This record gives sequence, C-alpha cells and structure tokens, in this order.
Amino acid sequence: MAKPKVGIYGLTSCAGDQLVLVNCEDELLDIVGALDLKSFVMGQSINDECELDIALVEGVVANQHDKETLEDIRSRSALLIALGTCAVWGGVPASKNEVSRAEFQKAVYGTETTGHEELITPLPLSHFVPVDFRISGCPIEKEELVGSIASLLHGDIPVLTNIPVCTECKMAENICQMVDLNNICLGPVTLAGCQARCPGHNRPCVGCRGPIEEANFASEYTLLLEKGFTSSEVINRMRIFAYPCEGLQAQVEKIENE
Amino acid sequence: MKVLTLSKKNATPFFEALKSFGKTYGPVEKGEKAYSFQPVESFSQLALDYKRTILPLKKFFYKPCQPVFHFNKDSGYQPAEEDLEEKIVLFGVHPCDINALNILDLVNSGPYVDNYYFVKRQNNLIIGISCMPDELCFCRSMSTDFAETGFDLFLSDIGDSYVVRVGTGIGDDMVNAVPDLFSPIDEESSRAYKDSSNERSAMFQRYIELSDLPEIMDLEFHSELWEKLGERCLACGSCSMICPTCNCYNIIDKLNLDQKTGERIRQWDSCLFKDFAEVSGGHNFRSKRASRVQQRYLHKQQGFVEQYGRPSCVGCGRCTMVCPAKIDIVEILHTIRGERNHRRRKSDRRR
Repeated sequence: MAKPKVGIYGLTSCAGDQLVLVNCEDELLDIVGALDLKSFVMGQSINDECELDIALVEGVVANQHDKETLEDIRSRSALLIALGTCAVWGGVPASKNEVSRAEFQKAVYGTETTGHEELITPLPLSHFVPVDFRISGCPIEKEELVGSIASLLHGDIPVLTNIPVCTECKMAENICQMVDLNNICLGPVTLAGCQARCPGHNRPCVGCRGPIEEANFASEYTLLLEKGFTSSEVINRMRIFAYPCEGLQAQVEKIENE
Repeated sequence: MKVLTLSKKNATPFFEALKSFGKTYGPVEKGEKAYSFQPVESFSQLALDYKRTILPLKKFFYKPCQPVFHFNKDSGYQPAEEDLEEKIVLFGVHPCDINALNILDLVNSGPYVDNYYFVKRQNNLIIGISCMPDELCFCRSMSTDFAETGFDLFLSDIGDSYVVRVGTGIGDDMVNAVPDLFSPIDEESSRAYKDSSNERSAMFQRYIELSDLPEIMDLEFHSELWEKLGERCLACGSCSMICPTCNCYNIIDKLNLDQKTGERIRQWDSCLFKDFAEVSGGHNFRSKRASRVQQRYLHKQQGFVEQYGRPSCVGCGRCTMVCPAKIDIVEILHTIRGERNHRRRKSDRRR
C-alpha cells in the first residue's frame, strides 16, 4: 500500500501539539518513514499543498484567514483530525468568548480596529467544517498520537481513552484533591489519558484535556459550592479549556437565570 | 484451627523471618490518614493501625492495566507472563479485604477460569490483622468482619501480643520457621481476646439489613431514587476502582507503528461509564447515567446474591469515602428499604 499523504497544520494556537510530534524522538524515524509528509511547516522547509489522505489540524479558527485555511484543508483531505484541546473544544483562546473581539482589540491596541484581518470569536474546528476524529489534550499525549497514527496506517479507527481523570487517579492511588484536600479539582469531568499527571504531583486537575462525554458539570458545580468556593471561582476554572462545550454553556446559562 | 500467641516484642524477628517466603507488602502511610499496600522492608514501616487503603488487594492479582499477550504478525501470540511467578506476602490484611479476595476467587473460578488471576493468587501468602471499625465500616452487616478462610496466618491484637490463628499448611511453616517466637494460648490471652472482641462489637456504628433486600430492590426498580442519584453521580469511576470486589475490565488492542507487532491489554473498567453497555451497532443498554448507577447497586446487592448466594459488597466503606458526590451506599439501602431514624453518618467525618 502506498504511504498515506499527510499534512500537519496549525491555526491560531501555541503550536504545542505539533511540537509533540517533533518530540517523539524515539519514534520519529518510524513515523516519517511510514507517512508521506506533504506539508508540515514546523518540521520541514519544502511543502506541497496537494490532495491529502489525512490532515491533522491544531488550533482554533480565530480570524478569517484561519477559516479560509481550514476550509481549503478540508476540501482536499479525506480525513480531517482535530489535534489538541483548542481544535477539539476551543481551548484557552475561547475561554472568554462572551467578550467581543472589538473590546479585546480596544484593550490591547487602544482602537477597535487595527486594520489587520477580520477577527472571529474563536471556536473549535467542528463549528466550521466536518471533523472525522479528535485527539484532545493540552498538549496531546504522545502515546495517543503515535497510537492513532499506527491505527490509521492499519486502516482502523483509533480507539482513544474515554474515561475520566478520577479513574486513572484512583488507579495510581493518589490522594484525592477534591475529597481529601478540598481543592477545585476537575478530575470528575475531564477526559483521562494523562495518567492523572497533575494529582500525581499533588496539583488538582485543571481540565486541560477537555470534558469527558456527558460531563456532569451541574453536580460538580454544586459540590464545589458546598465546599465553600464561589460561583465565579468554579466557573472560571471550568471555562479555561472548554468554554464553548454545550454542557458547560448550559450550566452557565442555568446560573445566570437563577 | 491451631491458635498461638506472638508477643509484640517478637514481631520484628517474625517479620524478618517472613522474608524467606516472598517479597513483603504491607500498609504504609501515603498522606495524612491515607494508606496504600506497598513493599515493606521492616516491621516499623508498617502502619498497622490503618483503617483502609486507597486501593484494595485486587491490584496485586489483577493490575489496573496489564498486557494479556503480545502479538507478532510473523511469530504469532506470546502470553504476557511478567511478574506472574513472583512470590508475595501481604502483611496486615483486614478481614473485609480477605473476604473480598474470597469473593473474587469465586467469580474468577466460574465457567471461565481466569488463569492470570489464579497463578498470582497461588503465589501469594496472606497474614491478616484485626481492626477496629470506624464510622464508615459496615462489614458486620455483610458478615465480612471476621475471616474464616482466605489467610495463612491471622493476627488479632490483644494489647501486648497477638493471638495468631494458623489458617494453612504454609502458615504453619511460617510459625515453624521461628517456633521459639510463639507461645501457647493461656487463660490471660484468651480473656484479652474476648474483651477485645466484645469491645469491637460495640464499636460498629453502621448497619444495613440484608434480609429480603434483593426482593425490595426488585420492588423498587422504578424508584425515583435512581433518577436522583443519576443527577448527582459524576460517573467518575472512583467507586469501581477502589471497590475490593469490582472486577470488570475492558480489552484493548494496541498496535505498534511497524504494523506487525502489538499487545492486547486489559484495563479496569466501570459500569458507570457511558460506553460500558454499548454494543456493536451503537445501541446502548444503559445509556442513562441513572440506569448505570442503579446497575451498580443492583449487581452488588441483588444480582450477585442470585448467582452466588451473598452480596458482593464487603462493607469496607471505601466507596463512601472516595465519592466526590457523597453518594453513600448505606444511606441508599436505608432509603430504599423505607427505614426511618437509621443512624446517619456525620456529614464531614471521613475515614
């Protein structure tokens, strides 16, 4: 079988997810050997924007240029994979989406328009184009990236973890940040795959890998308020990585209506 | 059963003698009032006054994530046999955890024998230790507050010494390795044992009534209680991970980049997860969280009783301790039985 033609792209983001690929030092030669890497601006000088079998796209759409780039990638890719929490959920760029972009520009540049490109309220890729598969994480886990590439090469849909951080945290026998230490820990509503890295270093989960499917934000919110945290303390923690998430938006609306 | 006494002065030499029987693990302090079974080099490292460890003993026989076999396109399958032959001694195991292993033995010896589990069980020795209940223990209700089988030696603390019950031939070998450390039972130690036993009986604060519970759970199948619990439950999976008898696992194939090799792993799973009862084609038998919470309690307290004649719960109190949503099995069972004025746990007392 011919090697799949692959492009790796970054929209508005920190480029940290693409960097994870470059950091796969032990596997790098195997990865580039197995793929026909057509475009990867971070990793190679000569790029060919041709028809692709797989496109991996990091970041959010935050301006008109991002949107056009994404639509172009989508139009010439058989599979489009959202790479990282920004691409999957909106991430940090979307954490204050209720504030208009004009207001931000005024705060930063002193004027509502800078004459640069037209800004868009940042949203995940799936808001603009169909996304075939998602690898979440801030940044993504190397094992999930390598495992996903291996599955795709074999013609399988990758199977990524679908369990909450609490599960991996208990497997590691960590002290519970929420129950034992009374911290705001987002482990119960956050996708695992990180082996509960932060609680393992005695830090509560901040939710960087994005929400678990059917995350129970309502119960998590109530429990944290019972511990004495304020509504804004809890929501400000929840909003950092996945503010546009439907479940979280529903909870925010519920609080506003109360 | 052979019964002896071991003076606490002799505990250290006895512990040293156990090293010839395998690698010794015991309860050690992990944080403030949190404990874990870890490798132990000396008797003084042991925190024998612990109430419960974060993970139960199942972690020794059935790891959170372990390879089942490795595969290779050219050479076929090779069973994963890492650590299978390691001899281990578990020192300081409470009766509830011993009974939990007896339950797991039942489950794993059914029509589909789990050889990975039993090879490890056969290479394992257990030295039990007596304990005093705290505000979460309800093992007496579950008849698991005393271990009749499932240990090689069982030490009951009677103050200056232990009353030692010898449960197996290997337990007897352990005694015979250092016979001078042990003394026969005398009147004084017998009286101290009975005093301690009576004192312990008076300390249990939590009870549940097991009689006709499966029937009541049938009657209350459509109770609105389950919906309410479904709203509170975070489906975080903590209760399943720390439960000494939860044994569900998921099977995952991991392929390497070479497209030729990989491994099949099994990983602890939970019936609270959305995809637990999802089948090929996308149908989910328990798509609602409420039905998954209900399933967990029904299986522990009803389904298991129908199959094995007793609940799979051993009353260790771990699930109540770890639940971030403060879901409490004893409270649920009291509610479902319609009991009033039962003893409630004080809201913020944990462990």
